[in-house]
Amino acid sequence: MIWEVFRQEKPGEYHTHCGNVHAPDADMAKLFAEVQHGRRKPTNSLWVVPQREVGEVDAEEATFGGSTDKSYRWAMTYNRVDESFAEEVADSQREQETADREREEVTSGGSA
Amino acid sequence: MDLETVKERAGPRAFSPKDDLPVEYREAATRMIQFHANSEIMGAYLERPFIRQAPSLDRKLAFSAKVQDEIGHGQLLYRAAESLGVKTRDEMLDELANGEGKFLNCFHYPMKKWTETPMIGFFVDGAAMRRQATLKRSSWEPYAHAMDKICFEEGFHVKHGEDILRELATGSRKEQEMLQEAFDEWWPRIIQFFGPTDDKSTHHDFSSEVGLKMMSNDELRNAFLTAYIPKAEKYGLEIPDEPRIEKRDDGSYKVVEDDLDWEEFFTVAKNSYEGSDIQIGKRHDTQEAVEWVRNVLDQHEQAATGAAQTAAD
Amino acid sequence: MSAIDHLSGPADLEEDERQAVETLLYRLADDEFVLAERYTEWQVRSPTLESDLALSNIAQDELGHARLWYDLLEDFGYEEADLIWERDPADFRHATLVELPFEGGDWADAIVRSYLYDEAEHLRLEALEESSYPRIVDRVGKVQAEERYHREHATNWLERLAETDEGRARLQTALDRVFPHALTLFEAVDPDVERRIDEYGIRTRSLEDMGEQWLETVVPFLESLGLEVPLSSDRTVTAEDLPSHVGRDGSHTDDWFDLHDDFTHTYRELGRDSADRIMPDPDDQ
Repeated sequence: MIWEVFRQEKPGEYHTHCGNVHAPDADMAKLFAEVQHGRRKPTNSLWVVPQREVGEVDAEEATFGGSTDKSYRWAMTYNRVDESFAEEVADSQREQETADREREEVTSGGSA
Repeated sequence: MDLETVKERAGPRAFSPKDDLPVEYREAATRMIQFHANSEIMGAYLERPFIRQAPSLDRKLAFSAKVQDEIGHGQLLYRAAESLGVKTRDEMLDELANGEGKFLNCFHYPMKKWTETPMIGFFVDGAAMRRQATLKRSSWEPYAHAMDKICFEEGFHVKHGEDILRELATGSRKEQEMLQEAFDEWWPRIIQFFGPTDDKSTHHDFSSEVGLKMMSNDELRNAFLTAYIPKAEKYGLEIPDEPRIEKRDDGSYKVVEDDLDWEEFFTVAKNSYEGSDIQIGKRHDTQEAVEWVRNVLDQHEQAATGAAQTAAD
Repeated sequence: MSAIDHLSGPADLEEDERQAVETLLYRLADDEFVLAERYTEWQVRSPTLESDLALSNIAQDELGHARLWYDLLEDFGYEEADLIWERDPADFRHATLVELPFEGGDWADAIVRSYLYDEAEHLRLEALEESSYPRIVDRVGKVQAEERYHREHATNWLERLAETDEGRARLQTALDRVFPHALTLFEAVDPDVERRIDEYGIRTRSLEDMGEQWLETVVPFLESLGLEVPLSSDRTVTAEDLPSHVGRDGSHTDDWFDLHDDFTHTYRELGRDSADRIMPDPDDQ
């Protein structure tokens, strides 16, 4: 049976997917994952999840919130006002710009 | 973990659901996050009529997207609260519908006109975002994680709010007058958003000792006024004479608190204001009307889990 | 059928061609706009937080489609104000299915209506993939990409609601109420113009044809869920199946006029004469 493994490097951070292990049950999966995925990279915590329990939807079938223009969802569309007056608004806009750019890359890569 | 250890270890994102935390911490965190989650939902109630009443297609889309985001924030926050193990999401939503759940003062007042929308969309959301940015360092890790996602989205809300403010402030004379009227009405409520001064606030000390809360009411209000008073002035809004706001030598602001109606504030805080009944009543009725759908989903879930259980046995 | 290969751009159409293109676009745009307007009634009122987010998204998709179709009408010199905000409500050409209000808590209606609409929308968009009017063809793909979610959303909900007696009873009540109005999706704005839409190849499948195929899809599916489809004779539509207002020809229910009054409220209150834009023009994307 295959188990998906998620690693959190430091306390407070997110668990992100880092690989998987073959194991007959959850206890063995944790033992194997500890060594296979935790022995070098900094690790604070691991989650193991049976692969068959993981549902997937991918860009082949889904548009993840839409394919038509939804620029009204993004801070940078409102370019007649300036975000720099408040640090947290500016930070949000920077994060959105990055996300929007990466989203474009995925979309254009997916359809090519 | 005992309370002393919690206070010693209380740093940003220090505690997660796997920690054995004392009941005092879990209850204080639940109260704070539930209040925050409730406020997202009730804020959305206030704004939803303006999806329909927006005066352009793009504004309608933006309002729909914003209200959608607020419900999404509620989803994230109830989950962060639920993971403390004190109350389930269903319990918290029931409390909100039956009038026990508390939420932000500003969302107890009705919003009737389009010209009022920047009061929530720019000033209240701007105030909320100031506070939320500090909460990325909260000691309850799921709360801090929710804040990452909320702050990521919130920049759209504040800029969308300011863009409507800009449009109205540069619009017809009638629009400008209606905007000033709205500002006069909402300004004292916006100042009260941050609550009473620290010495009157009941929960502050404990929350900051255990790292749930990062900045005091006064500090946050000051940070808000520093950025947002110049904005109001930029758009030609006259700051009402009351509450009196004095600028100190270091550039920070002092609000003369006695100019504010604290009796009303505490009536609002107890959900006893007339607007509270109206807003909560809407929530109660609309939630009750779709109770049957949740029952269908519950039955489906039980049947599906039951079948999986039988298959596993 | 001897369809014209390609119509010219908006500026060079003959009068008859232009009328046909405009009529088709009004059908599309008005349906999407008014349906979305109704869907947004569920925002903050859906059964769960997650279902609220999903239906909000569908509403935004539909509004986005309306925006794309109205934008093609702007090619003929109209502005958003003419097309929506200052247009006489009696000139709207949407089917009455999309203008009916939702009764409080009637999630079954939201789902049934969405299912009936999205299956028709699917056929209608397919019939535009090879339209003779290039400006339409350019935009169909993006709209279709969002319709998959709408259909899956509706069918998944239908299947689950139909599992319990109460859910099925509520679905039946909703179906009885809205099904006659769903039939108006395939009604003509004006029979002569609709015929020309087909002749010019702006649409590659006639309304009658699509209506038949739609019945062949929705009737068996709804019956498989234990629902009874309110049709007087088996799987054919007669005049008595239609409601007294069909929308397409400009006859609307009172609810539509109330809705129009409500969504134009701010525009009128502020004395606006144009609609503010936030997003880039679809052609500049």
